[in-house]
Amino acid sequence: MSTDQQDEQGEEDTLVNVADGVDHQVAMVMDLNKCIGCQTCTIACKNLWTEDGGSEYMYWNNVETKPGEGYPRGWEDSGGGWESGEHSDRSPGEIPDEEDYGRAWEFNHEEIMYEGSDEPLRPRDGAEWGPNWDEDQGAGEYPNSYYFYLPRICNHCTHPSCVEACPRSALYKRQEDGIVLVDQDRCRGYRYCVEGCPYKKVYYNTVSKKSEKCIFCYPRIEGEGPEGETFAPACAEECPPQLRLVGFLDDEEGPIHKLVNEYEVALPLHPEFRTQPNVYYIPPFAPGQHTEDGETVDIDRIPRQYLRNLFGDSVDEALDTIDAHRQRVRQGGESELMELLQDKNPAKQYRLEVFDDE
Amino acid sequence: MADHRRTLTLTAVLSALIVVSTVAAPMVSARPAHEIPVSEVSTADLAEPNADGWAEVPASDVPLSSAPSSVPNADDTSVEAVDVQAARTDERLYVRLEWHDATRDRNASATREFADAVAVQFPANTSSRPPIAMGGPDNRVNVWYWSGSTGTQELLAGGAGSTTPFENPTVRTNASYTGTGGNATWAVVYSRQLDAPSENRTDLRTDGDLDVAFAVWNGSNGERSGQKAVSEWHYYPFSGGPQGPPYETLLWTLAGIAIVAVVGVTSFGIYRTRGAE
Repeated sequence: MSTDQQDEQGEEDTLVNVADGVDHQVAMVMDLNKCIGCQTCTIACKNLWTEDGGSEYMYWNNVETKPGEGYPRGWEDSGGGWESGEHSDRSPGEIPDEEDYGRAWEFNHEEIMYEGSDEPLRPRDGAEWGPNWDEDQGAGEYPNSYYFYLPRICNHCTHPSCVEACPRSALYKRQEDGIVLVDQDRCRGYRYCVEGCPYKKVYYNTVSKKSEKCIFCYPRIEGEGPEGETFAPACAEECPPQLRLVGFLDDEEGPIHKLVNEYEVALPLHPEFRTQPNVYYIPPFAPGQHTEDGETVDIDRIPRQYLRNLFGDSVDEALDTIDAHRQRVRQGGESELMELLQDKNPAKQYRLEVFDDE
Repeated sequence: MADHRRTLTLTAVLSALIVVSTVAAPMVSARPAHEIPVSEVSTADLAEPNADGWAEVPASDVPLSSAPSSVPNADDTSVEAVDVQAARTDERLYVRLEWHDATRDRNASATREFADAVAVQFPANTSSRPPIAMGGPDNRVNVWYWSGSTGTQELLAGGAGSTTPFENPTVRTNASYTGTGGNATWAVVYSRQLDAPSENRTDLRTDGDLDVAFAVWNGSNGERSGQKAVSEWHYYPFSGGPQGPPYETLLWTLAGIAIVAVVGVTSFGIYRTRGAE
C-alpha cells in the first residue's frame, strides 16, 4: 500500500509512504515529555528477550539522557545509514566495542554475602562506563541546566540500511507489518548490519555468533501468548507513564497517523541518516530559562539547535504547533491534538488489530 | 689413438647427460601453472598438519588476491599466498593449506573480533567449472570451510550470499599454528572420503580433472564474508597424463636436440682435425 499504488477508481489508496513490498507498517510514537527515565521499558525488554548468554550487554530497548553520549557511547557519530535520499549508496559505519556498550560489571556479592566483608556493595573494578553512565548529567549551567530522556528501540525503518548491509539477506523487512528481523538460520555473524545501522540497534551475540535485534515483540502483537490475546510490545505496555502509542503508520484513523502525518508533531530521530524510521518522538518542552533571581524568561532552556540536530529542522514547526494547541485549550478551546497527547486518548493508545480482517 | 678414444667417450657421456637433463628437467617443472599435483599414497599419515607423511608431498605456492565483492573494504586483504599440498589414498583426499599470518585469531567472542579462516572450493558437479565467486544458481560449489572460532563447516553455495551449511559435515579438519611474528603460519588439513557422501556433494573419485580454489581470511584485519584473499580456479590432475599446453616440454626437447647436435658436430670436427694431423 505505497503511495504509488492506486485503487480501482484510480485514486491513491493512502498518503502514507510504506516500504515497497510491505503491506502495512508498524509504528510507535513516544512522547518525550512523559518519560521519567525509570528504565522499566528497558527491564521489561531485557527480561523477555536478552537474558541468555552472549546478550548480557544488549539492550534492545534503552533509555539514555540527552544531551549525553548514549548507548553505545557515541553512537550518533558511528556512521551507517544512507549517503543520499535515493537510498543507493550506504555509509558503512563502525562496530562499537565492548567498552562503548558498557560491560556487565562484577560486584562483590560473594565477599559481602558469604565472607562477612563490611565493604559496601560495589563493582569490583573496571566500572568506568556503562549504558546509563551519564544519566541526568545533561548540559547547561545552573540555574539553566537541562536534560531529557530518550528511549530508543529499533526504528523498523522504511529504508533499513542494516538490511541492505547484509550480503546474505539474513535481515529482512517482513511483508505483513514491516518489522525488521534477523533470520538466525541465514546469519553468519559478519556484523555488516551492526556497523550499517546508524542507530546501532543491531547487536552481535558473542555466544551464538549471530546478530540479533528488537523484534517489535512480534509474538505479542500476533497474540502468541497463552491467552491468545494481542499485546503491544512489552516496552510500551510496561511503561509507567504510558508514553508510547503503538499501531500502524498507515492506519489513517489511528493516533500515530494523525500525529505523524496530519499534525506533523511526531518526528523521527536523526532524519539525516535517511533510513526513514518508524519510531517517532514528540519533542521535549522545557520551562524557559531562569535568571539568577529565579525569574522565568522567554529563552529556550533546551537550545533549539540541539533539538534540530536530533529531530531535524521540522522540530521548530512541531513545537510551534503543539504550543498553539496548548494555548487554544488554555483559553477554553478544544484541540484533537491535545486529546491525542493525553493518556486517555479517544483514538486508542494501541491499535494493532485494525488490519486483522484483511 | 687413445686420446681420440678418450675424447669420443667423454663426448658421448657428456651428450648423454645433456640429453637426460634436458628431457628430465621439463618433466619436473613443466607442470601447467594452475595444476596442483596430488600424491597417490597407500597409507596415510596425513591427518595432522605436522604429520610426517606431508614431507613427501610436493607443495604448490598459490597466489591470492582480494575477491571482487560489494562488502565494505573488500580490497583490504592481507594474505598473499597459500601453500597447497594434496594427497589421495584409495579412500580419502587430503588437502593441506599453509599460510603466513602474524596473529592467531581463534575467537569471535567480542563485538569487534573476527576469527582467521580458510576454505577450499570444489564444483558440486565436476562436469563443468562454476563461476569462481561461490558458483552460480545452476552450477553450485561445495566449500570446505574452517574457522578458528567455529571449526569446520561443509557448505553449498550457488552464488554470492547463498552459502548454506550441510547439516552433517563429513569433512574432517585439523589445524595448527606455529612460529611467531612474521614467521608464524597456520596449517590446516582437510580430508574427506572420495565417494560423494550425499547429493550436492563433490564426487572426489572423478576420473577427470578436479577444479579447486582457495580462500583465506585474516580475522585481525576484520576479514569476513567477501572481504577475503582468493585464488583463481586451479585443478587436481585426476585424469592422469600430461595436462595443459605442453609448450615447455616441446621447447626443452628442441633445445636438448640442438645442444646434442652442436656438441656432436663440434666433437666430430675436433676429431677430424686431430685425425688429419
